[in-house]
Amino acid sequence: MKNNVKHMLKKELKEMFRDKKSLSMMLIIPIMIPLLIIGMSALFEMQTNKPQEDYNKVGFTYELSETEKTILENVGIDYEENTVEKLEEGVQNGDVNMYVTKEDANYIFHSRRDDKSSYTERLVSTYFESYKQYLQTAYLNNHDMPAEDILNIITYGYAPTDADDGTSEYFANYITTYAFLFIIMAITVSATYPATDATAGEKERGTLETLLTFPIKSKDIILGKFLSVSISSIITGLLSLILMVTSLVVANGMFTIYEEVSLMPSITSLAFALVVIIAYSCLISGLCISIASKAKTFKEAQSALTPLTFISFFPSMIAFMIEIKSSALLSMVPFLNFTLLFTDITNGEVDILNIVLMIASTIIFIAVMLSMIIKQYKSENVLFTN
Amino acid sequence: MLKVENVKKKFIKLDEKKKKHEFWADKDISLEAKEGEIVGILGPNGAGKTTLLRMIGGILEPTEGTVKFDDISYAEDEITIKKNLAYLSGNTKIYQNLTSYELLNMCCEFYGVDKDTAQKRIEKIAKKLKMESFLYNKIEKLSTGQTQRVNIARCLVHDPKYYILDEATSGLDIISSQVILDFIKEERDKGKTILYSTHYMEEAENICDKVLLIHKGEVICTGTPSEILKKTSTTNLRDAFFALIGGNDDEK
Repeated sequence: MKNNVKHMLKKELKEMFRDKKSLSMMLIIPIMIPLLIIGMSALFEMQTNKPQEDYNKVGFTYELSETEKTILENVGIDYEENTVEKLEEGVQNGDVNMYVTKEDANYIFHSRRDDKSSYTERLVSTYFESYKQYLQTAYLNNHDMPAEDILNIITYGYAPTDADDGTSEYFANYITTYAFLFIIMAITVSATYPATDATAGEKERGTLETLLTFPIKSKDIILGKFLSVSISSIITGLLSLILMVTSLVVANGMFTIYEEVSLMPSITSLAFALVVIIAYSCLISGLCISIASKAKTFKEAQSALTPLTFISFFPSMIAFMIEIKSSALLSMVPFLNFTLLFTDITNGEVDILNIVLMIASTIIFIAVMLSMIIKQYKSENVLFTN
Repeated sequence: MLKVENVKKKFIKLDEKKKKHEFWADKDISLEAKEGEIVGILGPNGAGKTTLLRMIGGILEPTEGTVKFDDISYAEDEITIKKNLAYLSGNTKIYQNLTSYELLNMCCEFYGVDKDTAQKRIEKIAKKLKMESFLYNKIEKLSTGQTQRVNIARCLVHDPKYYILDEATSGLDIISSQVILDFIKEERDKGKTILYSTHYMEEAENICDKVLLIHKGEVICTGTPSEILKKTSTTNLRDAFFALIGGNDDEK
């Protein structure tokens, strides 16, 4: 019996590794991971280290006093005075980033909503804070009041608990978590094609009938197919992990935003990541085999499996966006548990119990799925479409 | 000995309005095939030959009736039966990505043939079926005739006791068909039991020891070719068939 599973596995692997489409599915998404990591890091760096000359051109529709001009120069704003029409034109063609209108003591900022507007707004706000403070000090002094005491009746500031300001760590966690999500996507995509080919594809090509004449039990056929798809998914996951670690190390040395942190995961983190990758690969392979086996044609199987790519990615995105924390219960929820564990691995806060529960629940899900499909594999309605 | 008793097969078909309809592909078919015997199953397309052979080959389960090889049914020991069985049809597809050698080796593994015996058998069969020139070529590169020779070799590697051959010469040229017919006779002479289905009546007349004429899922006549000709007062099985169904069915 064990030998037949081995022979099935050998046959499936041989077919899979000789099929160019299966191979390309195994490799396409993993090779996108370095692009994602380097690309996103470059974007973060660009946003963080944006040169002030790109967003400091501000127009004023009223006449500026000498004091205002001095403060503007101190803040680093490249100012001009002009009419609303001229400044509006300047904003539209990009010569001016923002312009300010004045109505009594009320100042309004006008700009287009683009990638620079928030930077300009921050700069102009800084200027107005300084100008307001100047006016308040002058007013209080004119009325013989202790301006220093009143304006600084309380003081406040930010003292980060980390050695640096935490920005580097934020970016590091962000990029690592996204890379892990991409690994999940890569595994899902890589499992769908071989699963379709090994089940509906074999049915469509007519070789399933030949296979059924061999002295093999349907259990051995399904196990052989499941193992081959799992191996292909694990290879994709492993390749993705290797490329992810390599890219993180390269990004670490390449971008100044990561100066204060090390992006290289620890050996323990890598070992945990590997466990999660293997468990997810097996779960998604079992699911793909179960769904594709019911399909009568290759096309039908592909249509049935397409939503799976989104379903597998969706809980992960939600969990990541609303920052769900891992727990013993959530560790047993398929799809969600893998993302939460990856997030824990990124933060270096893995609870062994959660890993154990994830493995146990995954084994149960796979066993249920495979036993269902083994029963179904005896059904003539599934095996013979005509 | 192969014994098929009162085998029936019902399919459920859906019409255009997705309404279910029962359809009996085979209705109460019985047959016996002894060692060293070629039993021909003859009938036009759609007569129920393939369904019958699929039930005998263990691919389909009969709705009613039993199939026994040496007094063992599929329910009792499916694996032992299949180890002694070779199933070949005109539509049998084989793995295109494998070479002929890899396919034969894979079959040996599935049938539990040990490595040394497998190697010797593959060499012997390749020589006999003149496959040496394409033994290590991928099956997708082979011609139809060469592919069918690989298919025959696949049936021989485990030295089975029973052969089920369903329209095995269908669509083949005269030379490739002859290779199959020679192989059938040779295996019969070795004492193997062969079930041979075809809609080529002349072909069956030449090689079958016993014939079952099937029409619309029912056996309409059984016996040796000469017995059937005598019974119907005809000179060939083709005429005998039309005599039994009362003329050309299509015209009716």
